[in-house]
Amino acid sequence: MCAQPQRSAPIEIHDLDLQQFLEEVHSFEFWFEAVEGYLSGLTWGHRPDTPEAVFDELERDRLITVLCNYCVGETAALEGASGLISIAPNRLAKVFLSTQVADEGRHLEVFLHRLRDLGVPNPEAEVERRASPSLVLFKRRLLELVAGKDWEAAIFAQNVILEALEFAVFHSHGQTADPITREVLAGVVKDERRHIGFGENEIGRRLAAAPHIRARIGQVKKELDHLVFDTLADTIKQIGLPRDEEDRLGRAYLESVERLGFL
Amino acid sequence: MITDPREREDDSEVAETAGQSARQRFILEDTGFDEVPKKYRRFYRKWKGAGDMLAPNEVICPVCKVVIRSTRELRPGDRVYCMPCMSRLVVVRNQSGTLEARVAY
Repeated sequence: MCAQPQRSAPIEIHDLDLQQFLEEVHSFEFWFEAVEGYLSGLTWGHRPDTPEAVFDELERDRLITVLCNYCVGETAALEGASGLISIAPNRLAKVFLSTQVADEGRHLEVFLHRLRDLGVPNPEAEVERRASPSLVLFKRRLLELVAGKDWEAAIFAQNVILEALEFAVFHSHGQTADPITREVLAGVVKDERRHIGFGENEIGRRLAAAPHIRARIGQVKKELDHLVFDTLADTIKQIGLPRDEEDRLGRAYLESVERLGFL
Repeated sequence: MITDPREREDDSEVAETAGQSARQRFILEDTGFDEVPKKYRRFYRKWKGAGDMLAPNEVICPVCKVVIRSTRELRPGDRVYCMPCMSRLVVVRNQSGTLEARVAY
């Protein structure tokens, strides 16, 4: 509880000029120093000495299904973020997306490795076999938006909708997961904070500058909402969370889109 | 209740407006928050859930739910930055009388 004596006025980061702040937080340097803080010393996303839990066959099977669907979401974000770099409207967005690509690649890798840990001999084939149809449809639609070079709609689908869903589900799953999965998810959630923040702020700024895009983004939301809620329901069932958690996670997902003015 | 290790002191130099009481100043310490580079860590902490309380120099980021900390007491109209999620926020007083942060796009 000791506090250091204050010799001079402390540097207050909240006094930074907005442009300085944006340059700093979108930089590769910032990302590198941030991830170094919580990934250093981990192997495949967890501490090497974290003990493996003992699962019964049903628990193991359910966890495999959940992780397979996490892999679908991460693959969608990996392919989406990498495709978006070429149409990003400025340097800061391009550099940020390059860090997101690295994050998403890591997430996919640690989830696939976790599947191998659980005894899945061919994780990628298992992902194809167990993928939720609604999540596969979501991925296809996201990649269509990216291929169509629709920056606002694609960022909304990827960094607001998909990332908000993942953030809520990973955080909730992390509360009840086995020790290794919990550590893997904790690291992923830390990355997701940046992704959801980038998406919400980018879309918020775009809407403020060009209000006419609201109708198009609203249409994308309407189109994707049922896929999000179907995916959420499937995942919560597999994780074994209570029904009221589904409602809470649904509200958590809606919070971010509501802040942007979409009800 | 203030849950973080810190020392408070009054600082009349930061009373920007005549008639307005001086803002308390806070010395921030690193609480183990590891999602930003070391030099920024003391400006953020994890929200500990039920039982946790915000100090006068703290608000919760509505986007990523991290607690944002300032070296000075926060007041409505103040601007703060959430580095973990890259948001710029403005402090407002809500209907229940407590301070909260709203995203400023």
